[in-house]
Amino acid sequence: MEEILFGIGISALAGALATVAGAAEDTESDIGSQGDPNSQVQLAPQMGYIHRIYNKAISGEPPAYGLWVALAAGIAWALMAIQYNAILALIIGSAVAVFVQGVYATTAYLGRTASLAKFEQPVYIDILKSVTTVTMAHAFVAVFTTVTMCFLIIEALGHPFPLPLMGLVWGIALGAAGSATGNPFYGKERQYQNYPFGAGLPISASGDIVRYAEAGQRSSLDNGWFTSKGAGPASGICFGLIVFFELWRTILFEPFAAGWGAVIAGAVIIIVFMVIDRMVETWARKTYGPYTTEAATEEEATA
Amino acid sequence: MSALGGGSAGGEGINPTASVIALVIVLVSLGIAFALAPATLIPLIGVIIGGVLISFGVHFVPVGGAPAAMGQAPGIATGVAMLAAGGGLAGLFGGAWAAEMGIWVALGAGAMGGGLLMAITCLMVNVVYVYAMGIPAASGKVEKDPITGDTYAGYRSQGTEGHGLPFISYVGGVIGGILAGAGGTLIYLELLSVYEEALPSVLGMTPEGMSTLAVSLAGIFAVGMFLVAAVLTAYNITGTIEGPHDPKFKRWPRAVIGSSAACAACGLVAILLVVI
Repeated sequence: MEEILFGIGISALAGALATVAGAAEDTESDIGSQGDPNSQVQLAPQMGYIHRIYNKAISGEPPAYGLWVALAAGIAWALMAIQYNAILALIIGSAVAVFVQGVYATTAYLGRTASLAKFEQPVYIDILKSVTTVTMAHAFVAVFTTVTMCFLIIEALGHPFPLPLMGLVWGIALGAAGSATGNPFYGKERQYQNYPFGAGLPISASGDIVRYAEAGQRSSLDNGWFTSKGAGPASGICFGLIVFFELWRTILFEPFAAGWGAVIAGAVIIIVFMVIDRMVETWARKTYGPYTTEAATEEEATA
Repeated sequence: MSALGGGSAGGEGINPTASVIALVIVLVSLGIAFALAPATLIPLIGVIIGGVLISFGVHFVPVGGAPAAMGQAPGIATGVAMLAAGGGLAGLFGGAWAAEMGIWVALGAGAMGGGLLMAITCLMVNVVYVYAMGIPAASGKVEKDPITGDTYAGYRSQGTEGHGLPFISYVGGVIGGILAGAGGTLIYLELLSVYEEALPSVLGMTPEGMSTLAVSLAGIFAVGMFLVAAVLTAYNITGTIEGPHDPKFKRWPRAVIGSSAACAACGLVAILLVVI
Protein backbone atom coordinates (compact mmCIF):
# COMPACT_ATOMS: atom_id res chain seq x y z
CA MET A 1 0.00 0.00 0.00
CA GLU A 2 2.77 2.40 0.96
CA GLU A 3 4.48 1.66 -2.31
CA ILE A 4 1.35 2.55 -4.29
CA LEU A 5 0.88 5.77 -2.32
CA PHE A 6 4.51 6.68 -2.93
CA GLY A 7 4.03 5.94 -6.64
CA ILE A 8 0.92 8.12 -6.86
CA GLY A 9 2.78 10.93 -5.07
CA ILE A 10 5.63 10.70 -7.57
CA SER A 11 3.09 10.62 -10.42
CA ALA A 12 1.53 13.82 -9.11
CA LEU A 13 4.93 15.48 -8.76
CA ALA A 14 5.95 14.37 -12.24
CA GLY A 15 2.61 15.65 -13.58
CA ALA A 16 3.20 19.02 -11.89
CA LEU A 17 6.70 19.25 -13.36
CA ALA A 18 5.29 18.34 -16.76
CA THR A 19 2.66 21.08 -16.45
CA VAL A 20 5.35 23.69 -15.84
CA ALA A 21 7.40 22.19 -18.67
CA GLY A 22 4.51 22.37 -21.13
CA ALA A 23 3.71 25.99 -20.27
CA ALA A 24 7.36 27.05 -20.52
CA GLU A 25 7.89 25.12 -23.76
CA ASP A 26 4.96 26.75 -25.51
CA THR A 27 5.84 30.23 -24.30
CA GLU A 28 9.44 29.69 -25.42
CA SER A 29 8.37 28.54 -28.85
CA ASP A 30 5.95 31.48 -29.22
CA ILE A 31 8.53 34.07 -28.19
CA GLY A 32 11.09 32.47 -30.49
CA SER A 33 8.39 31.81 -33.11
CA GLN A 34 9.35 28.20 -33.68
CA GLY A 35 5.98 26.58 -34.36
CA ASP A 36 3.95 26.29 -37.55
CA PRO A 37 2.65 29.90 -37.27
CA ASN A 38 6.19 30.99 -38.09
CA SER A 39 5.29 30.27 -41.71
CA GLN A 40 3.50 33.64 -41.56
CA VAL A 41 6.50 35.38 -40.00
CA GLN A 42 8.62 34.07 -42.85
CA LEU A 43 5.94 34.92 -45.42
CA ALA A 44 5.17 38.47 -44.24
CA PRO A 45 8.26 40.24 -45.70
CA GLN A 46 7.64 38.48 -49.01
CA MET A 47 4.20 40.12 -49.06
CA GLY A 48 5.73 43.52 -48.25
CA TYR A 49 5.16 43.49 -44.48
CA ILE A 50 8.49 44.16 -42.73
CA HIS A 51 8.37 43.20 -39.05
CA ARG A 52 10.36 42.78 -35.84
CA ILE A 53 9.25 39.25 -34.90
CA TYR A 54 11.85 36.63 -33.98
CA ASN A 55 12.22 33.74 -36.43
CA LYS A 56 13.91 30.50 -35.44
CA ALA A 57 11.80 27.74 -36.98
CA ILE A 58 14.55 25.71 -38.64
CA SER A 59 13.26 22.62 -36.84
CA GLY A 60 9.93 21.45 -35.49
CA GLU A 61 9.48 21.74 -31.74
CA PRO A 62 9.44 17.97 -31.06
CA PRO A 63 12.89 17.15 -32.52
CA ALA A 64 14.35 20.37 -31.10
CA TYR A 65 13.12 19.55 -27.60
CA GLY A 66 14.08 15.92 -28.11
CA LEU A 67 17.64 17.13 -28.69
CA TRP A 68 17.78 19.62 -25.83
CA VAL A 69 16.20 17.37 -23.20
CA ALA A 70 18.26 14.35 -24.32
CA LEU A 71 21.39 16.49 -24.18
CA ALA A 72 20.58 17.72 -20.67
CA ALA A 73 19.73 14.17 -19.59
CA GLY A 74 22.90 12.75 -21.14
CA ILE A 75 25.16 15.26 -19.40
CA ALA A 76 23.35 14.82 -16.09
CA TRP A 77 23.61 11.04 -16.47
CA ALA A 78 27.37 11.25 -17.16
CA LEU A 79 27.91 13.55 -14.17
CA MET A 80 25.90 11.28 -11.89
CA ALA A 81 28.03 8.36 -13.08
CA ILE A 82 31.08 10.15 -11.65
CA GLN A 83 29.27 10.67 -8.35
CA TYR A 84 27.99 14.22 -8.80
CA ASN A 85 25.05 15.21 -6.67
CA ALA A 86 21.90 14.44 -8.70
CA ILE A 87 20.34 17.90 -8.37
CA LEU A 88 23.59 19.60 -9.35
CA ALA A 89 23.99 17.22 -12.28
CA LEU A 90 20.46 17.97 -13.53
CA ILE A 91 21.07 21.73 -13.27
CA ILE A 92 24.44 21.57 -15.07
CA GLY A 93 22.98 19.32 -17.76
CA SER A 94 20.06 21.70 -18.34
CA ALA A 95 22.36 24.74 -18.39
CA VAL A 96 24.60 23.20 -21.05
CA ALA A 97 21.55 22.19 -23.12
CA VAL A 98 20.25 25.75 -22.91
CA PHE A 99 23.54 27.12 -24.25
CA VAL A 100 23.07 24.80 -27.22
CA GLN A 101 19.52 26.14 -27.55
CA GLY A 102 20.94 29.69 -27.49
CA VAL A 103 23.39 28.89 -30.29
CA TYR A 104 20.56 27.24 -32.23
CA ALA A 105 18.29 30.27 -31.74
CA THR A 106 20.97 32.77 -32.75
CA THR A 107 22.04 30.96 -35.91
CA ALA A 108 18.44 30.20 -36.82
CA TYR A 109 17.36 33.84 -36.48
CA LEU A 110 20.34 35.14 -38.42
CA GLY A 111 20.00 32.50 -41.12
CA ARG A 112 16.27 32.73 -41.62
CA THR A 113 16.14 36.51 -41.50
CA ALA A 114 19.17 36.93 -43.76
CA SER A 115 17.44 34.75 -46.33
CA LEU A 116 14.77 37.47 -46.55
CA ALA A 117 17.31 40.17 -47.49
CA LYS A 118 15.99 40.51 -51.02
CA PHE A 119 12.59 41.43 -49.57
CA GLU A 120 14.34 44.17 -47.53
CA GLN A 121 13.74 42.52 -44.16
CA PRO A 122 16.58 43.72 -41.87
CA VAL A 123 18.36 41.63 -39.25
CA TYR A 124 17.83 43.54 -35.99
CA ILE A 125 20.74 43.10 -33.61
CA ASP A 126 18.74 44.49 -30.65
CA ILE A 127 16.15 41.74 -31.20
CA LEU A 128 18.89 39.16 -31.18
CA LYS A 129 20.18 40.54 -27.89
CA SER A 130 16.86 40.98 -26.11
CA VAL A 131 14.79 38.02 -27.32
CA THR A 132 17.37 35.23 -27.50
CA THR A 133 18.09 35.38 -23.77
CA VAL A 134 14.37 35.32 -22.96
CA THR A 135 13.85 32.18 -25.07
CA MET A 136 16.88 30.64 -23.34
CA ALA A 137 15.39 31.36 -19.92
CA HIS A 138 12.09 29.75 -20.85
CA ALA A 139 13.90 26.81 -22.46
CA PHE A 140 15.83 26.29 -19.22
CA VAL A 141 12.59 26.00 -17.26
CA ALA A 142 11.14 23.57 -19.82
CA VAL A 143 14.30 21.43 -20.09
CA PHE A 144 15.07 21.34 -16.37
CA THR A 145 11.54 20.36 -15.36
CA THR A 146 11.35 17.67 -18.07
CA VAL A 147 14.71 16.14 -17.25
CA THR A 148 13.88 16.20 -13.52
CA MET A 149 10.60 14.45 -14.31
CA CYS A 150 12.49 11.80 -16.30
CA PHE A 151 14.91 11.35 -13.41
CA LEU A 152 12.01 10.83 -10.99
CA ILE A 153 10.34 8.28 -13.29
CA ILE A 154 13.55 6.24 -13.47
CA GLU A 155 14.81 6.52 -9.90
CA ALA A 156 11.55 6.50 -7.98
CA LEU A 157 9.27 4.49 -10.25
CA GLY A 158 11.84 2.10 -11.73
CA HIS A 159 11.36 2.57 -15.48
CA PRO A 160 14.02 0.55 -17.35
CA PHE A 161 15.08 3.29 -19.83
CA PRO A 162 18.38 5.06 -19.15
CA LEU A 163 18.09 8.82 -18.53
CA PRO A 164 19.25 10.07 -21.99
CA LEU A 165 16.78 7.81 -23.83
CA MET A 166 14.01 8.82 -21.44
CA GLY A 167 14.92 12.46 -22.11
CA LEU A 168 14.67 11.91 -25.87
CA VAL A 169 11.27 10.22 -25.61
CA TRP A 170 9.68 12.79 -23.30
CA GLY A 171 11.41 15.71 -25.03
CA ILE A 172 9.76 14.72 -28.31
CA ALA A 173 6.41 14.19 -26.55
CA LEU A 174 6.75 17.61 -24.87
CA GLY A 175 7.34 19.31 -28.21
CA ALA A 176 4.43 17.43 -29.80
CA ALA A 177 1.98 18.36 -27.02
CA GLY A 178 3.17 21.97 -26.80
CA SER A 179 3.13 22.65 -30.52
CA ALA A 180 -0.22 20.93 -31.09
CA THR A 181 -2.02 22.82 -28.34
CA GLY A 182 -0.28 26.17 -28.48
CA ASN A 183 0.18 26.85 -32.18
CA PRO A 184 -3.40 27.88 -33.13
CA PHE A 185 -3.55 30.44 -30.34
CA TYR A 186 -0.26 32.03 -31.35
CA GLY A 187 -1.01 31.74 -35.05
CA LYS A 188 -4.61 32.84 -35.43
CA GLU A 189 -5.28 34.67 -32.20
CA ARG A 190 -2.09 36.68 -31.81
CA GLN A 191 -0.52 37.10 -35.23
CA TYR A 192 -3.90 37.94 -36.78
CA GLN A 193 -5.36 39.82 -33.83
CA ASN A 194 -6.84 42.45 -36.15
CA TYR A 195 -9.10 39.88 -37.85
CA PRO A 196 -12.53 39.05 -36.35
CA PHE A 197 -12.60 36.86 -33.25
CA GLY A 198 -14.41 33.54 -33.55
CA ALA A 199 -13.54 32.68 -37.14
CA GLY A 200 -10.63 31.12 -38.98
CA LEU A 201 -8.29 33.29 -41.00
CA PRO A 202 -9.29 33.69 -44.67
CA ILE A 203 -6.60 32.11 -46.80
CA SER A 204 -6.28 35.34 -48.81
CA ALA A 205 -5.10 37.20 -45.68
CA SER A 206 -1.97 35.07 -45.26
CA GLY A 207 1.13 37.09 -44.46
CA ASP A 208 -0.70 40.16 -43.12
CA ILE A 209 0.46 39.67 -39.53
CA VAL A 210 0.04 42.32 -36.83
CA ARG A 211 3.27 44.31 -36.72
CA TYR A 212 2.46 47.24 -34.45
CA ALA A 213 1.85 47.36 -30.70
CA GLU A 214 0.31 50.02 -28.42
CA ALA A 215 3.54 51.97 -28.76
CA GLY A 216 5.93 51.31 -31.61
CA GLN A 217 6.46 48.02 -33.36
CA ARG A 218 5.38 44.73 -31.87
CA SER A 219 8.13 42.58 -30.42
CA SER A 220 8.19 38.83 -29.91
CA LEU A 221 8.27 39.51 -26.17
CA ASP A 222 4.75 40.94 -26.53
CA ASN A 223 3.72 37.65 -28.12
CA GLY A 224 5.08 35.75 -25.12
CA TRP A 225 3.11 38.04 -22.81
CA PHE A 226 -0.09 37.29 -24.74
CA THR A 227 0.29 33.55 -25.29
CA SER A 228 1.38 32.90 -21.70
CA LYS A 229 -2.22 33.72 -20.76
CA GLY A 230 -3.83 31.14 -23.05
CA ALA A 231 -1.71 28.77 -25.09
CA GLY A 232 1.00 28.35 -22.44
CA PRO A 233 -1.24 27.12 -19.61
CA ALA A 234 -3.27 25.00 -22.06
CA SER A 235 -0.10 23.29 -23.29
CA GLY A 236 0.98 22.83 -19.69
CA ILE A 237 -2.30 21.18 -18.76
CA CYS A 238 -2.05 18.99 -21.86
CA PHE A 239 1.45 17.71 -21.14
CA GLY A 240 0.77 17.48 -17.40
CA LEU A 241 -2.35 15.35 -17.97
CA ILE A 242 -0.47 13.08 -20.39
CA VAL A 243 2.36 12.42 -17.95
CA PHE A 244 0.12 12.11 -14.91
CA PHE A 245 -2.39 9.70 -16.44
CA GLU A 246 0.32 7.63 -18.10
CA LEU A 247 2.05 7.12 -14.75
CA TRP A 248 -1.07 6.96 -12.59
CA ARG A 249 -2.81 4.23 -14.59
CA THR A 250 0.36 2.10 -14.56
CA ILE A 251 1.16 2.56 -10.86
CA LEU A 252 -2.38 2.00 -9.64
CA PHE A 253 -3.79 -0.59 -12.03
CA GLU A 254 -0.85 -2.68 -13.25
CA PRO A 255 -1.07 -5.11 -10.30
CA PHE A 256 -4.59 -6.08 -11.43
CA ALA A 257 -5.30 -8.88 -13.95
CA ALA A 258 -1.63 -9.63 -14.62
CA GLY A 259 -0.92 -6.20 -16.05
CA TRP A 260 -4.13 -5.88 -18.09
CA GLY A 261 -5.55 -3.57 -15.40
CA ALA A 262 -3.38 -0.69 -16.65
CA VAL A 263 -4.40 -1.37 -20.26
CA ILE A 264 -8.10 -1.37 -19.39
CA ALA A 265 -7.67 1.76 -17.26
CA GLY A 266 -5.98 3.44 -20.25
CA ALA A 267 -8.90 2.51 -22.50
CA VAL A 268 -11.42 3.86 -19.97
CA ILE A 269 -9.50 7.15 -19.61
CA ILE A 270 -9.39 7.51 -23.41
CA ILE A 271 -13.16 6.99 -23.64
CA VAL A 272 -13.74 9.57 -20.88
CA PHE A 273 -11.65 12.14 -22.76
CA MET A 274 -13.51 11.27 -25.95
CA VAL A 275 -16.86 11.98 -24.26
CA ILE A 276 -15.54 15.29 -22.89
CA ASP A 277 -14.33 16.22 -26.39
CA ARG A 278 -17.75 15.50 -27.86
CA MET A 279 -19.37 17.67 -25.17
CA VAL A 280 -16.98 20.54 -25.98
CA GLU A 281 -17.71 20.16 -29.70
CA THR A 282 -21.49 20.10 -29.19
CA TRP A 283 -21.34 23.06 -26.80
CA ALA A 284 -19.48 25.09 -29.41
CA ARG A 285 -21.99 24.25 -32.15
CA LYS A 286 -24.95 25.15 -29.95
CA THR A 287 -23.45 28.28 -28.42
CA TYR A 288 -21.78 29.83 -31.46
CA GLY A 289 -24.15 28.52 -34.12
CA PRO A 290 -23.39 28.32 -37.85
CA TYR A 291 -21.67 31.18 -39.70
CA THR A 292 -24.18 31.37 -42.54
CA THR A 293 -27.97 31.51 -42.39
CA GLU A 294 -28.42 29.26 -45.43
CA ALA A 295 -26.61 26.58 -43.55
CA ALA A 296 -28.77 27.16 -40.50
CA THR A 297 -31.86 26.52 -42.55
CA GLU A 298 -30.24 23.44 -44.02
CA GLU A 299 -29.37 22.28 -40.51
CA GLU A 300 -32.93 22.67 -39.31
CA ALA A 301 -34.22 20.81 -42.34
CA THR A 302 -31.82 17.96 -41.65
CA ALA A 303 -32.82 17.85 -37.99
CA MET B 1 -1.51 27.46 -51.15
CA SER B 2 -0.05 24.06 -51.89
CA ALA B 3 -0.35 23.00 -48.25
CA LEU B 4 -4.06 23.66 -48.35
CA GLY B 5 -4.72 22.18 -51.73
CA GLY B 6 -2.96 19.09 -50.56
CA GLY B 7 -0.97 18.81 -53.81
CA SER B 8 -1.39 15.41 -55.33
CA ALA B 9 2.31 14.73 -55.80
CA GLY B 10 2.57 11.14 -56.85
CA GLY B 11 -1.16 10.46 -57.02
CA GLU B 12 -2.85 7.64 -55.20
CA GLY B 13 -1.90 4.60 -57.25
CA ILE B 14 0.66 2.00 -56.39
CA ASN B 15 3.81 1.93 -58.50
CA PRO B 16 4.28 -1.76 -59.43
CA THR B 17 8.04 -1.52 -60.03
CA ALA B 18 8.67 0.24 -56.72
CA SER B 19 6.46 -2.28 -54.92
CA VAL B 20 8.38 -5.22 -56.39
CA ILE B 21 11.67 -3.60 -55.37
CA ALA B 22 10.30 -3.11 -51.84
CA LEU B 23 9.21 -6.74 -51.71
CA VAL B 24 12.66 -7.86 -52.86
CA ILE B 25 14.31 -5.74 -50.13
CA VAL B 26 12.03 -7.32 -47.53
CA LEU B 27 12.72 -10.87 -48.78
CA VAL B 28 16.49 -10.31 -49.08
CA SER B 29 16.62 -8.86 -45.55
CA LEU B 30 14.68 -11.84 -44.19
CA GLY B 31 16.92 -14.22 -46.15
CA ILE B 32 20.12 -12.68 -44.79
CA ALA B 33 18.77 -12.77 -41.24
CA PHE B 34 17.78 -16.41 -41.64
CA ALA B 35 21.13 -17.40 -43.18
CA LEU B 36 23.21 -15.73 -40.46
CA ALA B 37 21.09 -16.54 -37.42
CA PRO B 38 17.80 -18.40 -37.96
CA ALA B 39 16.59 -17.38 -34.50
CA THR B 40 16.46 -13.72 -35.59
CA LEU B 41 13.95 -14.36 -38.37
CA ILE B 42 10.87 -14.04 -36.15
CA PRO B 43 12.12 -10.84 -34.43
CA LEU B 44 12.82 -9.29 -37.85
CA ILE B 45 9.31 -10.16 -38.99
CA GLY B 46 8.06 -8.51 -35.78
CA VAL B 47 10.07 -5.38 -36.57
CA ILE B 48 8.54 -5.23 -40.06
CA ILE B 49 5.03 -5.64 -38.64
CA GLY B 50 5.82 -2.86 -36.16
CA GLY B 51 6.84 -0.58 -39.03
CA VAL B 52 3.66 -1.44 -40.90
CA LEU B 53 1.54 -0.62 -37.82
CA ILE B 54 3.28 2.74 -37.41
CA SER B 55 2.90 3.61 -41.07
CA PHE B 56 -0.76 2.64 -41.19
CA GLY B 57 -1.44 4.40 -37.88
CA VAL B 58 0.09 7.69 -38.99
CA HIS B 59 -2.53 7.96 -41.74
CA PHE B 60 -5.26 8.19 -39.08
CA VAL B 61 -3.67 11.14 -37.29
CA PRO B 62 -5.36 14.46 -38.23
CA VAL B 63 -2.54 16.82 -39.07
CA GLY B 64 -3.24 20.35 -40.23
CA GLY B 65 0.26 21.81 -40.18
CA ALA B 66 0.67 25.55 -40.70
CA PRO B 67 -2.84 26.18 -42.14
CA ALA B 68 -4.38 24.69 -38.97
CA ALA B 69 -2.36 27.11 -36.87
CA MET B 70 -4.23 29.98 -38.55
CA GLY B 71 -7.61 28.26 -38.36
CA GLN B 72 -7.55 27.82 -42.16
CA ALA B 73 -7.79 24.02 -42.22
CA PRO B 74 -8.85 21.34 -39.76
CA GLY B 75 -6.40 19.17 -37.86
CA ILE B 76 -3.66 19.54 -35.30
CA ALA B 77 -1.29 22.41 -36.00
CA THR B 78 1.95 20.51 -36.25
CA GLY B 79 3.79 18.14 -38.58
CA VAL B 80 2.71 14.58 -39.38
CA ALA B 81 5.91 12.88 -38.29
CA MET B 82 6.25 15.13 -35.24
CA LEU B 83 2.85 14.34 -33.83
CA ALA B 84 3.01 10.65 -34.61
CA ALA B 85 6.44 10.46 -33.01
CA GLY B 86 5.11 12.13 -29.87
CA GLY B 87 2.23 9.67 -29.61
CA GLY B 88 4.21 6.62 -30.59
CA LEU B 89 7.10 7.33 -28.27
CA ALA B 90 4.77 7.92 -25.34
CA GLY B 91 3.43 4.46 -26.22
CA LEU B 92 6.95 3.07 -26.35
CA PHE B 93 7.50 4.46 -22.84
CA GLY B 94 4.46 2.58 -21.54
CA GLY B 95 5.25 -0.58 -23.49
CA ALA B 96 8.86 -0.73 -22.29
CA TRP B 97 7.66 -0.31 -18.73
CA ALA B 98 5.35 -3.30 -19.07
CA ALA B 99 7.88 -5.43 -21.00
CA GLU B 100 8.33 -7.85 -18.07
CA MET B 101 4.63 -8.68 -18.06
CA GLY B 102 4.68 -10.41 -21.42
CA ILE B 103 4.45 -9.29 -25.02
CA TRP B 104 0.66 -8.90 -25.19
CA VAL B 105 0.37 -6.79 -22.04
CA ALA B 106 3.33 -4.68 -23.18
CA LEU B 107 1.74 -4.16 -26.61
CA GLY B 108 -1.54 -3.21 -24.94
CA ALA B 109 0.25 -0.79 -22.60
CA GLY B 110 2.14 0.73 -25.54
CA ALA B 111 -1.03 1.09 -27.58
CA MET B 112 -2.88 2.77 -24.72
CA GLY B 113 0.08 5.07 -24.02
CA GLY B 114 0.01 6.34 -27.60
CA GLY B 115 -3.79 6.57 -27.61
CA LEU B 116 -3.81 8.47 -24.32
CA LEU B 117 -1.36 11.10 -25.58
CA MET B 118 -3.45 11.62 -28.68
CA ALA B 119 -6.76 11.67 -26.76
CA ILE B 120 -5.53 14.36 -24.38
CA THR B 121 -3.75 16.38 -27.07
CA CYS B 122 -6.77 16.34 -29.40
CA LEU B 123 -9.06 17.36 -26.54
CA MET B 124 -6.82 20.29 -25.62
CA VAL B 125 -6.67 21.36 -29.28
CA ASN B 126 -10.46 21.56 -29.35
CA VAL B 127 -10.56 23.28 -25.96
CA VAL B 128 -8.21 25.99 -27.26
CA TYR B 129 -10.18 26.39 -30.50
CA VAL B 130 -13.55 26.55 -28.75
CA TYR B 131 -12.88 28.42 -25.51
CA ALA B 132 -9.86 30.56 -26.38
CA MET B 133 -10.60 31.33 -30.03
CA GLY B 134 -14.38 30.93 -30.24
CA ILE B 135 -14.18 28.67 -33.29
CA PRO B 136 -16.33 25.49 -33.66
CA ALA B 137 -14.92 22.37 -35.33
CA ALA B 138 -15.67 21.87 -39.03
CA SER B 139 -14.31 19.39 -41.53
CA GLY B 140 -13.18 20.61 -44.93
CA LYS B 141 -13.30 17.21 -46.63
CA VAL B 142 -16.78 15.91 -45.79
CA GLU B 143 -20.15 17.63 -45.42
CA LYS B 144 -21.33 15.28 -42.69
CA ASP B 145 -19.42 13.63 -39.85
CA PRO B 146 -19.48 9.86 -40.52
CA ILE B 147 -19.82 9.09 -36.79
CA THR B 148 -22.00 11.81 -35.27
CA GLY B 149 -23.86 12.94 -38.38
CA ASP B 150 -23.08 16.62 -37.68
CA THR B 151 -23.21 18.79 -40.79
CA TYR B 152 -20.28 21.11 -41.45
CA ALA B 153 -21.29 23.33 -44.36
CA GLY B 154 -22.43 26.23 -42.17
CA TYR B 155 -19.70 25.89 -39.61
CA ARG B 156 -16.76 26.69 -41.90
CA SER B 157 -15.86 30.33 -41.57
CA GLN B 158 -15.51 32.32 -44.76
CA GLY B 159 -12.37 31.77 -46.81
CA THR B 160 -11.23 28.69 -44.88
CA GLU B 161 -11.34 24.96 -45.45
CA GLY B 162 -12.69 24.28 -41.97
CA HIS B 163 -10.96 24.32 -38.58
CA GLY B 164 -10.61 22.54 -35.25
CA LEU B 165 -10.97 18.81 -34.80
CA PRO B 166 -14.30 17.31 -35.89
CA PHE B 167 -15.22 14.14 -33.99
CA ILE B 168 -14.16 11.80 -36.79
CA SER B 169 -10.71 13.41 -36.75
CA TYR B 170 -10.56 13.02 -32.96
CA VAL B 171 -11.34 9.32 -33.23
CA GLY B 172 -8.80 8.99 -36.05
CA GLY B 173 -6.15 10.62 -33.88
CA VAL B 174 -6.78 8.18 -31.05
CA ILE B 175 -6.70 5.17 -33.41
CA GLY B 176 -3.48 6.49 -34.96
CA GLY B 177 -1.88 6.88 -31.53
CA ILE B 178 -2.94 3.35 -30.55
CA LEU B 179 -1.52 1.77 -33.72
CA ALA B 180 1.68 3.82 -33.62
CA GLY B 181 2.20 3.09 -29.92
CA ALA B 182 1.71 -0.64 -30.48
CA GLY B 183 4.03 -0.60 -33.52
CA GLY B 184 6.85 1.21 -31.70
CA THR B 185 6.52 -1.14 -28.73
CA LEU B 186 6.60 -4.22 -30.97
CA ILE B 187 9.87 -3.08 -32.59
CA TYR B 188 11.35 -2.42 -29.14
CA LEU B 189 10.30 -5.79 -27.72
CA GLU B 190 11.60 -7.77 -30.70
CA LEU B 191 14.97 -6.02 -30.69
CA LEU B 192 15.20 -6.36 -26.91
CA SER B 193 14.69 -10.12 -27.17
CA VAL B 194 17.51 -10.36 -29.75
CA TYR B 195 19.90 -8.21 -27.71
CA GLU B 196 19.19 -9.93 -24.39
CA GLU B 197 19.92 -13.24 -26.07
CA ALA B 198 23.02 -12.25 -28.02
CA LEU B 199 24.79 -9.53 -26.05
CA PRO B 200 26.04 -11.63 -23.10
CA SER B 201 27.81 -14.09 -25.43
CA VAL B 202 29.11 -11.35 -27.78
CA LEU B 203 30.62 -9.24 -25.01
CA GLY B 204 31.24 -12.03 -22.50
CA MET B 205 29.36 -10.46 -19.60
CA THR B 206 26.55 -11.61 -17.36
CA PRO B 207 22.94 -11.09 -18.58
CA GLU B 208 22.31 -8.79 -15.58
CA GLY B 209 25.19 -6.49 -16.56
CA MET B 210 23.91 -6.37 -20.12
CA SER B 211 20.34 -5.36 -19.39
CA THR B 212 20.93 -1.57 -19.45
CA LEU B 213 22.87 -1.83 -22.70
CA ALA B 214 20.20 -4.07 -24.26
CA VAL B 215 17.39 -1.71 -23.21
CA SER B 216 19.30 1.34 -24.47
CA LEU B 217 20.14 -0.20 -27.84
CA ALA B 218 16.63 -1.53 -28.37
CA GLY B 219 15.11 1.80 -27.31
CA ILE B 220 17.31 3.91 -29.58
CA PHE B 221 16.74 1.62 -32.58
CA ALA B 222 13.00 1.61 -31.88
CA VAL B 223 12.93 5.43 -31.78
CA GLY B 224 15.01 5.58 -34.97
CA MET B 225 12.86 3.10 -36.86
CA PHE B 226 9.75 4.83 -35.62
CA LEU B 227 10.95 8.06 -37.20
CA VAL B 228 11.89 6.26 -40.43
CA ALA B 229 8.37 4.83 -40.79
CA ALA B 230 6.65 8.06 -39.70
CA VAL B 231 8.67 10.32 -42.02
CA LEU B 232 8.19 8.00 -45.01
CA THR B 233 4.47 8.12 -44.32
CA ALA B 234 4.56 11.91 -44.01
CA TYR B 235 6.01 12.05 -47.54
CA ASN B 236 3.19 9.83 -48.73
CA ILE B 237 0.59 12.13 -47.14
CA THR B 238 2.20 15.30 -48.59
CA GLY B 239 1.25 18.03 -46.18
CA THR B 240 -1.99 17.71 -44.30
CA ILE B 241 -4.60 15.00 -43.68
CA GLU B 242 -7.85 15.15 -41.74
CA GLY B 243 -8.07 11.51 -40.69
CA PRO B 244 -9.69 8.31 -41.95
CA HIS B 245 -12.38 10.23 -43.90
CA ASP B 246 -9.81 12.20 -45.91
CA PRO B 247 -9.38 11.06 -49.54
CA LYS B 248 -5.62 10.98 -48.91
CA PHE B 249 -6.19 8.14 -46.44
CA LYS B 250 -6.58 5.82 -49.43
CA ARG B 251 -2.88 6.21 -50.12
CA TRP B 252 -1.95 4.04 -47.12
CA PRO B 253 -0.97 0.86 -49.01
CA ARG B 254 1.88 2.73 -50.69
CA ALA B 255 3.34 3.95 -47.39
CA VAL B 256 2.88 0.55 -45.78
CA ILE B 257 4.86 -1.11 -48.59
CA GLY B 258 7.61 1.54 -48.35
CA SER B 259 7.81 1.36 -44.57
CA SER B 260 7.98 -2.42 -44.53
CA ALA B 261 11.01 -2.30 -46.86
CA ALA B 262 12.68 0.47 -44.85
CA CYS B 263 12.05 -1.26 -41.53
CA ALA B 264 13.28 -4.59 -42.94
CA ALA B 265 16.59 -2.99 -43.95
CA CYS B 266 16.94 -1.00 -40.69
CA GLY B 267 15.90 -4.00 -38.61
CA LEU B 268 18.48 -6.17 -40.34
CA VAL B 269 21.22 -3.65 -39.49
CA ALA B 270 20.01 -3.49 -35.89
CA ILE B 271 20.14 -7.29 -35.64
CA LEU B 272 23.47 -7.70 -37.46
CA LEU B 273 25.00 -5.40 -34.87
CA VAL B 274 25.08 -8.26 -32.39
CA VAL B 275 24.81 -11.32 -34.61
CA ILE B 276 27.98 -10.92 -36.68
